Amino acid sequence: MRDILYVDMATLSTERKPLPEKWSRYAGRALTDAIVYDMVPPTCDPLGRGAVLVFAPGLFGGTSAPNGGRLSVGAKSPLTGGIKESNSGGQAAHALAKIGLSAVVVTGKPADPLARFMLSIEADGSVKIERVDGWAGLGNYAVADAIKALRPADDHYATITNGPAGEAGLKAAGIAISDMKGYPNRFAGRGGLGAVMGSKGLKAIVVSDKGLKGVEHADKEAFNAAMKRFAKALTDHPVSGVGLPTYGTNVLMNILNEAGGLPTKNFSSGHFDDVEGVSGEKQREVTLERGGNVKHGCHTGCVIQCSRYWVDKEGAYVTKGPEYESAWSLGTDCCISDMDTVAALDRLCGDYGLDTIEMGATLAVYMDSGKIAFGDGPAAIKALKSIFEGGEPGMVLGHGAEATGLAFGVDHIPVVKHQAMPAYEPRAVQGIGVTYATTPMGADHTAGYTITANILGVGGTVDPLKTAGQAELSKNLQIATAMLDAFGLCIFVAFPVLDIPDAFVAIYDMAAAHTGQAWDTDELMKLGREVLTFERLFNTAAGFTAADDRLPAWMKTVPLPPHNTVFEVTDAELDSVFDFVPETAKEMGLL
Amino acid sequence: MKVDVALFAYLSDHQPDGLGGRHARAFDLADGTRVADVIADLALPDQPRIVFVNNRHAAEDSALHDGDRLAIFPPIAGG
Repeated sequence: MRDILYVDMATLSTERKPLPEKWSRYAGRALTDAIVYDMVPPTCDPLGRGAVLVFAPGLFGGTSAPNGGRLSVGAKSPLTGGIKESNSGGQAAHALAKIGLSAVVVTGKPADPLARFMLSIEADGSVKIERVDGWAGLGNYAVADAIKALRPADDHYATITNGPAGEAGLKAAGIAISDMKGYPNRFAGRGGLGAVMGSKGLKAIVVSDKGLKGVEHADKEAFNAAMKRFAKALTDHPVSGVGLPTYGTNVLMNILNEAGGLPTKNFSSGHFDDVEGVSGEKQREVTLERGGNVKHGCHTGCVIQCSRYWVDKEGAYVTKGPEYESAWSLGTDCCISDMDTVAALDRLCGDYGLDTIEMGATLAVYMDSGKIAFGDGPAAIKALKSIFEGGEPGMVLGHGAEATGLAFGVDHIPVVKHQAMPAYEPRAVQGIGVTYATTPMGADHTAGYTITANILGVGGTVDPLKTAGQAELSKNLQIATAMLDAFGLCIFVAFPVLDIPDAFVAIYDMAAAHTGQAWDTDELMKLGREVLTFERLFNTAAGFTAADDRLPAWMKTVPLPPHNTVFEVTDAELDSVFDFVPETAKEMGLL
Repeated sequence: MKVDVALFAYLSDHQPDGLGGRHARAFDLADGTRVADVIADLALPDQPRIVFVNNRHAAEDSALHDGDRLAIFPPIAGG
């Protein structure tokens, strides 16, 4: 049973319908894309009545597929103006899938902009929408506590919550998903989806899967056999089996620094002299000294276990990770080398419901204006708090790096399609520049993670400082990633999948055994191309052109130390990345 | 010749001074020493590695030169 739950926030009514046959092979990012493509006028106001917000577990949601519990969230992005899929770990995807839901589709908006609502989806499939006006302005952690107080003590549930940033319609607002301990610390962070949720008056979604078993398989025995092969590949590979569980994602900080590709001081250098304080190795040492947890999964079924909790000097929980991207954005890019300061900023972002990548890049842009100094942690914290507490610089920060740069006269703004670049410098890692420029998402490393071959020697090697092969590398990774996102698989499975051929086979063996449908290599790649085709067509209809698939002009003219290189991949090569779209669109019957 | 050697993640336990940490140590090496010779001398585990010489990826058979910085990482990734 795979159904869609439609929730109309104008009438406060819900309706559960079977998943249309045409989408029977779609889940996760493929399904959020298909629904947004189908229901959302590309030129609509992303916060208006015509906007739609979609939550969809991947195809492996609710199963024991290793690392298969990602939740895709889709909408038209208020930040980029294009289609957005932002996916997150946490417990909600499994819970929704166990209830039999392949998607929750939220439409309309309430007449009263001050009204706040909680949507509860119970294990028996019953659905309720309640007023929670008193929760207006509450941070994600307080909302999590308020929900806990309302639920039975023996309940088992996940939360999807929106902080004050989303309520205020800020373009850097993300949506929080609860982890295994119930902390609202996993995020569909990018692209302002929290603002879309806020525009619908939706403060929280609670999904209870108490007592529910895993989703049934067409062939349980075959699924379990393939699942064991997949799990073995994940634990055998040195990256997913040792590196990630030991150091977490922030193990990348030193290696990007060594490669000269670590964006520092608002993307003005590829090297951070004070990197040690925010490195993954130091983070592990301090966390262990303080008695914090350095190894757990962000969702049930994760075998990689790269999550960790940062604790204060007394050992009390502060925030997750911080993850590499957050330690980089809130640390390195702002020249802040103190992890307690980074964690304080991360916690504020988590509680407000702000994307840490966007906000770190935004603070660095603000520092570049000279209003506060690079490296001034207390000033950064004060600036971030000013979004909600008043004073300078105030709310504009919450609209992201570009809005802040424009407001304060900074001409060095690292964005593509209005979204801030993550933790890899395109001038020193040319492949990731191709991904930033061309992905329909706006600057997004996860869309086609060329760091694999450019820096890490996973899935081959492509010289990061040369242009040869970068467009092809990005294209193939964007297709493969779109496929993984449709299955709800964590992107980190890509490391073993790129190196161990049977891990890739195990994915379609699991898919076939789970669904009873035929899946093979061609079908996986076709799915990836279809996902990207929905996205490209939507963006074209929303007004995007080739000019939007470009990095900021200064990245092609201002050399980046220490390699003193510029971004040199040609426009023609960038425009070749999506050469498959017209043909795929025709095959899909969309053109 | 003098070469600065930095070891990262769990490889830092292999620094000859036993102090760990990611900071580079100055090694006195014979002319013509290759990256692989340093790896052998440090008894690094037999597994894939990511090697940089002067911030550029380098093959393990490449020769080192006076004043070089050598950085070695175990197989790692994140994002």
